[in-house]
Amino acid sequence: MALLEIKSLNKNFGGLRAVIDFDLSIQKGEIVGLIGPNGAGKSTVFNLITGVYPPDSGHILFNGDPIVNHKPYETCLKGIGRAFQVVKPFPDMTVLENTMVGAFSRVEGAGKAKAKAIEVLDFVKLTPKRNFMAKTLTIADKKRLELARALATDPSLLLLDEVMAGLNPKETEDTIALIREIRERGITLFIIEHVMRVIMSLSDRIAIIHHGSKIAEGVPKEVAQDERVIKAYLGEAYVFTRN
Amino acid sequence: MDRFSLTSPRVYVPLGLVVILFIIPLMVRDPIFLHLMILIFFYAYLTLSWNIVGGFAGQVSLGHTAFTGIGAYTSTLLFIQLGLTPWIGMFAGAFLAALMAVIIGYPCFKLRGAYFALSTIGFLEAFRIVVENSNEVFGIPIKGAQGMEVPLRGDSLLYFQFLDKEPYYYIILIMMFIALYVTYRISKSKFGYYLLAIKNDLEAAESLGVNIAQSKLKAAAISGFLTGIGGTFYAQLILFIDPANIIGAYLAFEIVFIAVIGGRGTLLGPILGSFLLIPVSELTRVYLGGTYFGVHLIVFGTILIVVMLFLPRGINDSVLKVYHWVIEKLERKGSHALEGVASR
Repeated sequence: MALLEIKSLNKNFGGLRAVIDFDLSIQKGEIVGLIGPNGAGKSTVFNLITGVYPPDSGHILFNGDPIVNHKPYETCLKGIGRAFQVVKPFPDMTVLENTMVGAFSRVEGAGKAKAKAIEVLDFVKLTPKRNFMAKTLTIADKKRLELARALATDPSLLLLDEVMAGLNPKETEDTIALIREIRERGITLFIIEHVMRVIMSLSDRIAIIHHGSKIAEGVPKEVAQDERVIKAYLGEAYVFTRN
Repeated sequence: MDRFSLTSPRVYVPLGLVVILFIIPLMVRDPIFLHLMILIFFYAYLTLSWNIVGGFAGQVSLGHTAFTGIGAYTSTLLFIQLGLTPWIGMFAGAFLAALMAVIIGYPCFKLRGAYFALSTIGFLEAFRIVVENSNEVFGIPIKGAQGMEVPLRGDSLLYFQFLDKEPYYYIILIMMFIALYVTYRISKSKFGYYLLAIKNDLEAAESLGVNIAQSKLKAAAISGFLTGIGGTFYAQLILFIDPANIIGAYLAFEIVFIAVIGGRGTLLGPILGSFLLIPVSELTRVYLGGTYFGVHLIVFGTILIVVMLFLPRGINDSVLKVYHWVIEKLERKGSHALEGVASR
């Protein structure tokens, strides 16, 4: 049984058809990438999965469980975590307190939540900045915090929305390594990215969405050579180098 | 130095302040002064209760006196009609206030920011006008705008009525500490963290498993409950209730002023704000209130503007800085004294 099963998903905003007949199947343990031009509907797919708004038609099954009419807090409790494209830290709380909010979804009591948060912050290597106010962090650290908070909810599926945006090469390397470690922990990943190097090297499979429709899907090598993908998005055939 | 030893300034200073508050009535007998202290504690109590919704959750309610109104009218009507002691009527009133808070909250919490605040004023005014224009409810007389007198029982602990100021002083002082304790416990709990998360970023909070609606309504219920009890206290103190005062917009705004100037969302802000503003309010009322009604609100407004310009987060942080500075000075003095002894 697939971990996440999306079937014939449709979403319109007034006259705009944002997501059209979208199908996707994600198996446990995979890293699946979602790419496409800006405005193609990628974040909309994420919003539909987590329940920010309901689809107009279609099914989404998580572990066989239909989650289409769930609210975001319900999908979180079911095991779907999310890091947002534009980071949303709790500015007037410390890094530790931010992470504790995530931890509270799984444990009771401030003591246990704190311990869990400390462990997660250690994993993402934010421990030295534990007591910083979130609003004082650099963008790279804010993205880390976003990851830490989502990880603290013990997700089985983690949705990452452009976590590499705005990072310098070293920070990008570190984040790639972190994502690999997250996968080692048994968490399935569904990643939206524009940085080709990242998504091509990390993903087991990639789906491309354009004007709301999935125009191709396959392993990175196939997708990189696909005519339609090149025309719509890549510009030119992507050349793999040793990573 | 042991953290909890009585010789540590960290312990004896706050302890000393609390003790002073408790022995004031034994040293100062002037009923006017005691009444002022009672008002300070009363406003602090109301603001501490408001803080749960307005400070922690960040939902600025400008209509909280709907709850003092329900508390006061419920306990008073139960007293008049059934002879039920306000001590019990108080809880009936508080439950009804909590219920009303949830009923008002359900539609209003769907609104954000200023729109939410406006909707709370809307409910408050509607409620007040209904009461003002109703001579009776289900056959029970409530005398509308005239207001009702609380039946006199003289000096009676059983009926929550006293001839002297002292009992009222202690009751409201204890109530204030209870409210402070409740807000303290909330701030350290999962519920408190969730409220803070909601205040900081709604969408992020929801993506982390926070049930926004449930948390806000829970905050409203607790806040409404505590505020309702405050209403009963007011009724028993003044022995007269009328919609203009107990369901009044003035009082509702004063609470918000105190909270904002004291420090919205802090633990001690409501108390500090009350200690700053209520004496000012009473002084202006005494010296200018006769000629110019509402002048104290002008003074409040001016202080609010000044504080917002220089201390936008309220006076809480600055006061605590001074406080910690004093504590540290005392600690150093203490350790020097010890060193002096040891080196002999």
